[in-house]
Amino acid sequence: MADAAIHGHGHDDKRGFFTRWFMSTNHKDIGILYLFAAGFVGLLSVMLTLHMRLELMQPGVQFMCTENVGANPIMTVLRSWVPTASEACTPNGHMWNVAITYHGVLMMFFVVIPALFGGFGNYFMPLQIGAPDMAFPRMNNLSFWMFIAGVALGVASLFSPGGNGQSGSGVGWVLYPPLSTSEPGMSMDLAIFAVHVSGASSILGAINIITTFLNMRAPGMTLHKVPLFAWSIFVTAWLILLALPVLAGAITMLLTDRNFGTSFFQPAGGGDPILYQHILWFFGHPEVYIIIIPAFGIISHVIATFSKKPIFGYLPMVYAMVAIGVLGFVVWAHHMYTVGMSLTQQSYFMMATMVIAVPTGVKIFSWIATMWGGSVEFKTPMLWAFGFLFLFTVGGVTGIVLSQAGIDRAYHDTYYVVAHFHYVMSLGAVFGIFAGIYFYFPKMTGKMLPELAGKIHFWLMFIGANITFFPQHFLGRQGMPRRYIDYPEAFATWNMVSSIGAFIAFASFVFFIVVLFYTLAKGKRINVANPWNEYADTLEWTLPSPPPEHTFETLPKQSDWDRSHAH
Amino acid sequence: MPHEWTRPPSDTGPVEAELQLWPYRSLPKRGFAGFVGGTAALIALPLLMVLGTPVLWALLPFLAAAIAAIWWALARSYRDGEVIERLEIRPDRIRLTRRDRGRPERVWEADPYWVELRLHEGERPVPGYLTLRGAGREVELGAFLPEDERRALAEDLQRLLARIGRR
Repeated sequence: MADAAIHGHGHDDKRGFFTRWFMSTNHKDIGILYLFAAGFVGLLSVMLTLHMRLELMQPGVQFMCTENVGANPIMTVLRSWVPTASEACTPNGHMWNVAITYHGVLMMFFVVIPALFGGFGNYFMPLQIGAPDMAFPRMNNLSFWMFIAGVALGVASLFSPGGNGQSGSGVGWVLYPPLSTSEPGMSMDLAIFAVHVSGASSILGAINIITTFLNMRAPGMTLHKVPLFAWSIFVTAWLILLALPVLAGAITMLLTDRNFGTSFFQPAGGGDPILYQHILWFFGHPEVYIIIIPAFGIISHVIATFSKKPIFGYLPMVYAMVAIGVLGFVVWAHHMYTVGMSLTQQSYFMMATMVIAVPTGVKIFSWIATMWGGSVEFKTPMLWAFGFLFLFTVGGVTGIVLSQAGIDRAYHDTYYVVAHFHYVMSLGAVFGIFAGIYFYFPKMTGKMLPELAGKIHFWLMFIGANITFFPQHFLGRQGMPRRYIDYPEAFATWNMVSSIGAFIAFASFVFFIVVLFYTLAKGKRINVANPWNEYADTLEWTLPSPPPEHTFETLPKQSDWDRSHAH
Repeated sequence: MPHEWTRPPSDTGPVEAELQLWPYRSLPKRGFAGFVGGTAALIALPLLMVLGTPVLWALLPFLAAAIAAIWWALARSYRDGEVIERLEIRPDRIRLTRRDRGRPERVWEADPYWVELRLHEGERPVPGYLTLRGAGREVELGAFLPEDERRALAEDLQRLLARIGRR
């Protein structure tokens, strides 16, 4: 037995800055690191967006000109932000392709998942289940720094020699061969390594989350009593464990095709580029559920809190998330309706995709039922949740439209698809992130983000993002292809409108960054455990704000968390 | 809950009891088997597409590594909780053995007549810290248990020691 430690360890925080932030083994600190890193990379990706929408604002090419290309890639980029007359500008298609590629790669791998899964997941899942930390705190830190290494490799790839005698790879975030296997230079290989490293980071993180969730729940907390956000993080982790290894296999095959003479995807050697698409989308479709499911978890808590009612139908909500996750694995080829599959195959994928609407509908109607008869308070987190509910539904229904193979024959690779996925991701996952930020900021910092500023941010973002993406449905229906640097005159109006929306949304982001850092530096400390109301009833709201370095070193009592509100 | 009377004390006659304590782990072994098995089955599905092609060998190592990793992680999590404290109470001897993985067993033995059971109030190291003092040492018991279980256990042990003391 251990000899008694009565005059035991009074634990002062003796960690220096470097130890605390660069060698962290604390799930709360690592969560904060992920949030800041994801925000920074998000800003980079949004800058790419801005550049693209600047270019698309008017027909003709004014910014991305071959005349701007020089030996120094950084100067090339800077010059390409300065407009020239269309007549004096030879379109630089490679630069455009690089912009859309890295916007996609950064957002899909390095922004939304680190923010929701790495940031909020790390910080709040252990707190909600009453665990003192993650199962493997040092591996948690490894996951974060591998993510940073992945970002570094991605940025290195952007500025390394690539295709068309310029820097960067212009292959699309999905890295389809034969373009990705024939793109010269090391940029493409660095991009593959960036995805390898970030994939490994995610897999290790997922293993940590799964072990913690399954084996470190507080006594009495059976699986059917775990809060919905913790469940959403577990389902996401499970999807990551199942999907990311398949991506690793696919991009390794790209690497060997490029460098070691294999021909998995080269017809000349007996391979098939469509095989890559199958393997990639087997990962790619679960990937989009990996992105959105943690947002579902946050929204459940926000809506329940600000409707002053327990969540409607806890158990169906849990199993709907599991069903969405499982079904997400059997629908991948709806991204590939036009590659030449048989009608039977297309019919199957069409039907399977439509089935996913059922559990998703269960969730949407449960959120509405939660608000029904409740006392709704329109604080900022609830505004974001409302926005999420409405806009994710809009994006979801255009997804049903796209699931129809016959319709997708016309819509595939047009702006209709771009509009659909930006509605579910920019206006779905991103609204979920902001709902989480406003909801959890007082817990993480002990300060409140100012309500008025939050409302201004919300409305600017709501208006801006809708003006950006709604007209893209029209462009897609009119036949404007995606991933194009230029377009015929007939598409000019809606492109101009869409670009104006993008500038408004960008302004909202800048405004938010200013408000965030101002509040962090000068905001008033309120240090209240629960600044909302008694319907924020999960374990994190019983802790001080901000929580101490170590929490739940002793197991919580069941009466602390089992309020029987929802189960 | 993670304590068990492997030999429960009888209400009459000499006090002879044996108690085992271990840290709580929320996943039962059947759950572990179900989860790893289910995950392995699902992750093997993409292999059906590529059976008989070289692509199988490109995918298989990654899928196998992922399953191996989650198996190892859950097993390691169980191992980290493999602490057993065994308390044997006889009329003439009380003995506490603690087995931690990776270090030799630690043993404390004393005369139960003179042993003092103490429940320390305050938050540190844990609320309701339970110790046994005797034979020149003071040792902790069940520091890893939830607080209410530890307090209930303290009451039971106090009753047992009192019976020995009254003999």
